[in-house]
Amino acid sequence: MLVQFEKVSLNYGENHPVLTDINFALPKGGFYFLTGPSGAGKSSLLRLMCCAEKPNTGRVFLFGHDTSHVARKDLPDIRRQIGVVFQDFRLIPHLTAMENAALPLRLVGTDEDYITRHTRELLEWVGLGKRLDALPAELSGGEQQRVAIARAVVNKPKMLLADEPTGNVDDETAIKLFHLFDELHKMGTAVILATHQQNLVERFNKPALRLKNGHLTSLAAKAA
Amino acid sequence: MALPRSVFSPAFRYQHLSWFFVALVGIMVYVATFATAAEATLSAITLTWDTGVESRLTIEIPAVEDEANMPQIERVRQTLAILKAQPDIALVMPLPDDEAARLLKPWISQPELLKAIALPTLIDVERKTGSSLTAATLQDKLKNVAEDIHVDDHAAWLADMNHLVNGLALMAGLMILLTAVTLIIAVSLICRAIMATEHDTIALLHIIGADDDAIAKTFQYHARRLAGRASMVGFILALISVGILLFFLRRFADPALLQPMHWAGLAASVLVVPLAAIAMAALSARLSALKLLRSMP
Ligand SMILES: Nc1ncnc2c1ncn2[C@@H]1O[C@H](COP(=O)(O)OP(=O)(O)O)[C@@H](O)[C@H]1O
Ligand SMILES: [Mg+2]
Repeated sequence: MLVQFEKVSLNYGENHPVLTDINFALPKGGFYFLTGPSGAGKSSLLRLMCCAEKPNTGRVFLFGHDTSHVARKDLPDIRRQIGVVFQDFRLIPHLTAMENAALPLRLVGTDEDYITRHTRELLEWVGLGKRLDALPAELSGGEQQRVAIARAVVNKPKMLLADEPTGNVDDETAIKLFHLFDELHKMGTAVILATHQQNLVERFNKPALRLKNGHLTSLAAKAA
Repeated sequence: MALPRSVFSPAFRYQHLSWFFVALVGIMVYVATFATAAEATLSAITLTWDTGVESRLTIEIPAVEDEANMPQIERVRQTLAILKAQPDIALVMPLPDDEAARLLKPWISQPELLKAIALPTLIDVERKTGSSLTAATLQDKLKNVAEDIHVDDHAAWLADMNHLVNGLALMAGLMILLTAVTLIIAVSLICRAIMATEHDTIALLHIIGADDDAIAKTFQYHARRLAGRASMVGFILALISVGILLFFLRRFADPALLQPMHWAGLAASVLVVPLAAIAMAALSARLSALKLLRSMP
């Protein structure tokens, strides 16, 4: 199993349930949408999936590990198998595109030659071959997002989480991005893509987890 | 497992935080170096005092006002006779008159005045080792010669002086300790401030799989780098100050303090200060970062 949620609930504060009784399991290597209106809890669910948050009740399993029982020192190892593309990109402003994208490789002490070669290839692949040394502020929103995607996949994670990656781009760019994620999926990475844009979900024939008011209303993924 | 060190560089520069850091550590090193120099010097003083003089007594026979009654020379002669008869006394050394004049010289600047003063006669005696002869008993025995003979026990005086010097040394030590504690608190405060401003970056680093130690090590690196500069400046300024102080004090200095042995010891002990400051700054940065990181998801 890639991800498994068992009776998971999450609240912010006492009376603010964000996710309630979430149960699902996703097998390895798939491509899934996570849909639902704005405020439904998609981002919160993704945060649980990358151990940025702990559930108030229930259990979250990642690659078979119960995350609430993982020792703190083993957490980085699990997190390194997950790539995350944030809605707001979260690039480090004073590092260049290359340095930002290479960050996950540096963490594991990969050999410097490999880091340079591989990161450059990856940035060329997302179409930023000419902007390697640009700072985030010198890049357009779409370019920053591609740096963020490159950073998310640079260490070949088992699972890629993307939060509203098409939220701020036109439809044409959105479709290009979907194809990019699809290619990554074909190379063996499981992809979970959160979006509120139903029209885009319908264009691609992929299983979807649907959230509404913090409840999972569709378990389409289970059938997939 | 290493984070690019530049990740937190702007945060350290933000709002001149690195300047505060350097200034704080520099001041601490300056104070601690000074205190250590004082401490080492004070210990050296007691060391030189501890050797040799404690078995010695000094007998002071004040000059007589009326030579006709019993001349000073006669008083000295009688005193010497009594002293030589004491089984506990190993050595009797009358100090020549010009010796007494020499001892008074630094305090009385006009030579004519010095000649006019009737100087007391001084006699040093050396007790046999293990002897229980005290200044009081000896003074008692000399009462017959003259009431105003005074016996000074170097051991007692030495003990008082030792207490004073030890007290001062203790204070210097306490000051070093306080500086060290202040340094540790200041460094960890600065690190906490930086971590608060960099909360989002740290959260990101966690999510992409950075372990706490890798992040804490970056803080250690910056602390070591900044403390290194600060210590150097603080240390050099302290050495210059100590040098100036010694230059003005050289006339009063105990000759033992001018020996190379003392200087080597002093150099060795003050050199520990900047090194210890760097190590403490680096370690407290790392540990306080680690502590804070553990409280994050
Ligand atoms: N850090 C937070 N503190 C308090 N409430 C939050 C926080 N993050 C999200 N929420 C609330 O949780 C609910 C779900 O938010 P979110 O997961 O961002 O939904 P979505 O991504 O589907 O738009 C919303 O009502 C939002 O206001
Ligand atoms: Mg969201």
